[in-house]
Amino acid sequence: MRIESGGAFEAHRRRVAEARVARRKTVLVCCGTGCLANGSAAVLDAFATRLTARGLNAELGVFVKKTGCHGCCQRGPLVVVEPGGTLYTKVQPRDVAEIVEKSIEHDETVTRLLYTDRKAGACTCQGDVPFYKHQTRIALRNIGRLDPRDIDDAIAHGAYAGLVRAVGHMTPEQVIDEVERSGLRGRGGAGFPTARKWRACRTAPGDRRFVVCNGDEGDPGAFKDRSLMEGDPHAIIEGMTIGAFAVGAHEGFIYVRDEYPLAVSTLTTAIGQARDRGLLGTNILGSGFDFDLRLSRGGGAFVCGESSALMRSIEGKVGEPRAKYVHATTRGLFDCPTVLNNVETWSVVGQIIHRGGEWFARLGTPLSKGTKAFSLVGKVANTGLVEVPMGTSLRTIVEEVGGGVLDGRPLKAVQTGGPSGGCVPESLLDLPVDYERLTEAGSMMGSGGLIVMDDRTCMVEVARYFLRFLTEESCGKCTPCREGLKQLLAIYEGIVAGRGRPGDVERIRTLAEGIRLGSLCELGRSAVNPLLSTLRYFGEEYRAHIERRACPAGTCRELTAYEIVHDGHPGRSAGVNGKRRGARAVQRPCNGCHVCVAACPVGAIAGERKRPHTIDQERCIGCGACYDACRVGAIRFFPKSERVAADADAAC
Amino acid sequence: MTLACPELTRLEPILARYPAREESLIQVLQDVQRAYRYLPCHVLEQVAARLHVPLARVFSVATFYKAFALTPQGETTIQVCTGTACHIRGAERLIDELRDRLGAGPGETTADRRFTIRTVNCVGACAMAPVLIVGDRYRGNAKPAAIGDYLSEGGGGHAH
Amino acid sequence: MPTLRVDGVRVTVPAGATVLAAARAAGAEIPTLCHHEGLEPWGGCRLCLVEISKPGWTGEGKIVTSCNYPAEDGLVVRTSGERVVATRRVVVDLLLARCPGTPLVQRLAREHGIEEASYEVNPEPTDCVLCGLCTRACDRMGVSAIASVSRGASRAIAPPFNQPPPDCIGCLACAEVCPTGHIAWSEADGRRTIWGRVFEMQRCEGCGRPHLTAAQAGWARARGAAEQDLRLCDACKREQLARTLRAVSRGETVAAQAAAS
Repeated sequence: MRIESGGAFEAHRRRVAEARVARRKTVLVCCGTGCLANGSAAVLDAFATRLTARGLNAELGVFVKKTGCHGCCQRGPLVVVEPGGTLYTKVQPRDVAEIVEKSIEHDETVTRLLYTDRKAGACTCQGDVPFYKHQTRIALRNIGRLDPRDIDDAIAHGAYAGLVRAVGHMTPEQVIDEVERSGLRGRGGAGFPTARKWRACRTAPGDRRFVVCNGDEGDPGAFKDRSLMEGDPHAIIEGMTIGAFAVGAHEGFIYVRDEYPLAVSTLTTAIGQARDRGLLGTNILGSGFDFDLRLSRGGGAFVCGESSALMRSIEGKVGEPRAKYVHATTRGLFDCPTVLNNVETWSVVGQIIHRGGEWFARLGTPLSKGTKAFSLVGKVANTGLVEVPMGTSLRTIVEEVGGGVLDGRPLKAVQTGGPSGGCVPESLLDLPVDYERLTEAGSMMGSGGLIVMDDRTCMVEVARYFLRFLTEESCGKCTPCREGLKQLLAIYEGIVAGRGRPGDVERIRTLAEGIRLGSLCELGRSAVNPLLSTLRYFGEEYRAHIERRACPAGTCRELTAYEIVHDGHPGRSAGVNGKRRGARAVQRPCNGCHVCVAACPVGAIAGERKRPHTIDQERCIGCGACYDACRVGAIRFFPKSERVAADADAAC
Repeated sequence: MTLACPELTRLEPILARYPAREESLIQVLQDVQRAYRYLPCHVLEQVAARLHVPLARVFSVATFYKAFALTPQGETTIQVCTGTACHIRGAERLIDELRDRLGAGPGETTADRRFTIRTVNCVGACAMAPVLIVGDRYRGNAKPAAIGDYLSEGGGGHAH
Repeated sequence: MPTLRVDGVRVTVPAGATVLAAARAAGAEIPTLCHHEGLEPWGGCRLCLVEISKPGWTGEGKIVTSCNYPAEDGLVVRTSGERVVATRRVVVDLLLARCPGTPLVQRLAREHGIEEASYEVNPEPTDCVLCGLCTRACDRMGVSAIASVSRGASRAIAPPFNQPPPDCIGCLACAEVCPTGHIAWSEADGRRTIWGRVFEMQRCEGCGRPHLTAAQAGWARARGAAEQDLRLCDACKREQLARTLRAVSRGETVAAQAAAS
């Protein structure tokens, strides 16, 4: 059914919204990629089966909704029962019957499935869970609440209200002014003011213009764009249509990674439904404005997140960046004026137009307005998708929202901005998150990955990891990035393998400066950030690797040996670091529980049950699986070089 | 190419989905990769001719993007996510275990052509790290010790 | 006509010119590898880096490639500032590690005060600097027989499937623009070999020397070239033109010119 005017839209919206208010119970089953990986598809099936068996259906006002990511992926599969917002965590198919009986047929709760932690206790309502309580959700407002494959559900939750206002009551200039008032800056990383970009495109000469959505979320450790595309595709479509109206474009592309199959299918469905409703296509809402969208699937190249490479890729070419001395707003896709914005940027545009720029600008810091979505991952208790006002400190995000470090281990650093960003050390954790502060700290906002690192994360190895990633992902067009990253990687491979040489740090610095200043695109120019930031804050770890052949975190395999403590005394080196519960380290001698034997991938641990075990040093590959698995903290690590020295002493 | 090749029949419906222009190239190759599990040489020649793109440029694109393979892949692809979260939560151990069990490392196909192992740059399921994908089935919090089960349970039947 | 200042020298260039053109007009010496007057600027080798600033800018200047930066009015260009020289030196050093035995790269290294590469030397030395001139020349010919393959450190220039390229016409444009002589070709017994393909040559009707490949002639014909343009080699064409001009200068009739052709 096509909606022909703003008035008809409002009537339709009221109808679908009222129908939802009248529902008795709605079960929201999270089917984001995280929960699917935990088996939520089977949970969804179990609900369908159980409700049918109990004779509960839509006629009786009971609905089951397959939603996008709820965010608290760590506790998935997640199920929410509305009204009331009862959140059930780690739901298995066998739990479904009880949920149906108590929570749906009656107004009771299944206490054992509620979110529980030491600080907050058991939380009945989603809003009470600390993970959600400290968030302010604008981009993520509807994710997990609506069925992304049902446009009417999206409309009932407020989708396209901004579009109605823009095409029905505003001029393109007024739309740009409103976005300018909001202070919105690009959520893709660099933070360029969105309104300025749009204005430049609008005034650039040319007959054909494009708006493009960058959904090539390639940063390892970031998935907020994926969740947005999977969970609320209509917010993106609405934002892009408003943007197209503002700049005078009639064609748009959403560029999505093909590694996100669920996002591809959700967006494809959403675009089709928006066309059917007349929210895409010709004469949108009777305004005379025409706009349509196409999906372009990326081929798997991180560099295509760079705007000029992304546009070449949409053109069907290899994703090689070109100099941006002439901006994309003048000469972009197919050499036409183009506005390219990140998924999250497009997602908030509809809200800004609907609620006004000033509403958005009330949140955040003087230069960074609104909220920012992050994927909070790594060694943190509650991994997942979060959105907080700009200016929130990293500490609040990690400790309040994330519930602190996993297993209560000490926090070492938070990596932000992916391969283009850097590591912010624990000492700077009170840093408020905004574009300028993060850059000053040697990192960047990037596309929104926050990776929590504990004392078991080696910072030299982290730098090596990003370098290896970027060396593989460099397009190879320009000399410094292609040849320089390869050479840097060789130096780092040497350091983590115990072949570090004096002068390595100076060599790294010289090369890094050449790559930073000399590279063609932002991939190369920012590739050195992980190195420079770890050098800046964790220089001691570099020295330990190079001078003493020791990895203080005990994760560089070539440098680290493990042994099982039999006598209860931690022994000689600083590498002892028991498993922690809360802030207290548990350290006891081996009780022969066999857990490490099962964990060892190479069968290097031997010992009878209930008798102390030993590690065969010849077979041990130094992976640390035993250390992480041990429940009593009976395993310690120390530099291999010490063992070699001790063996030599023994031989004398 | 006038040689009648039965293999090319699968290409027709793919080409029919897109306009015969260069901008369709990557989309067509994605679908070819899915249909054939690699990009056969003669199919690429046909794609070049039909989209009016020089063959050298088709080859260039086919070798630039990571999603494409020029050699036949195994029946099931095992993807080990090596995103940052998976990396610091032990993706390397999964790779070791796979190498041990299957005798093939990243980028390789087992001798019996049953499995191809690939590393992928972050599939965005970081909360479940480390993640292993067998076929199209995601395995969150994957454990090296459980790899045997993941492989025998296979990758089918997972609703998206 | 923008006027800019290069190393203190004022220079005015035609609209649309690049900073590189302006700098060279001002007498500055800027090394380049991937630049060619006849081809679109590419900005890949990063040797032509310069530092620019504009009136009103504060702080350090911006480092850009001069080959594709548009010469703007009022631009201040420094071609050999400290940062530019240091960065260029890293680039040359990296190229030397890649191409340790290539005379052109060795010369560049000497000019930048580099005795030997500071980095791990390529275990499989090559003469290819990946300047992309060959593929751009091939594209410019409208042939596109070769292209870059793979990416990053494994990037190379190759014909499709690393087999003799079906679209190649043996015109040698790629070999002629290659700055290091990496693209090998040979000619003997009326045959030309390049990229593993053997081309039959067509002989010049004037001097009898083989002057273009049959594939080249066919390609030119298909694009509407006149048959007479394909009969003579360049040397004979020049000689013929010279003869005509001499005839005209002696006041002979235009008929003689026509007869000559």
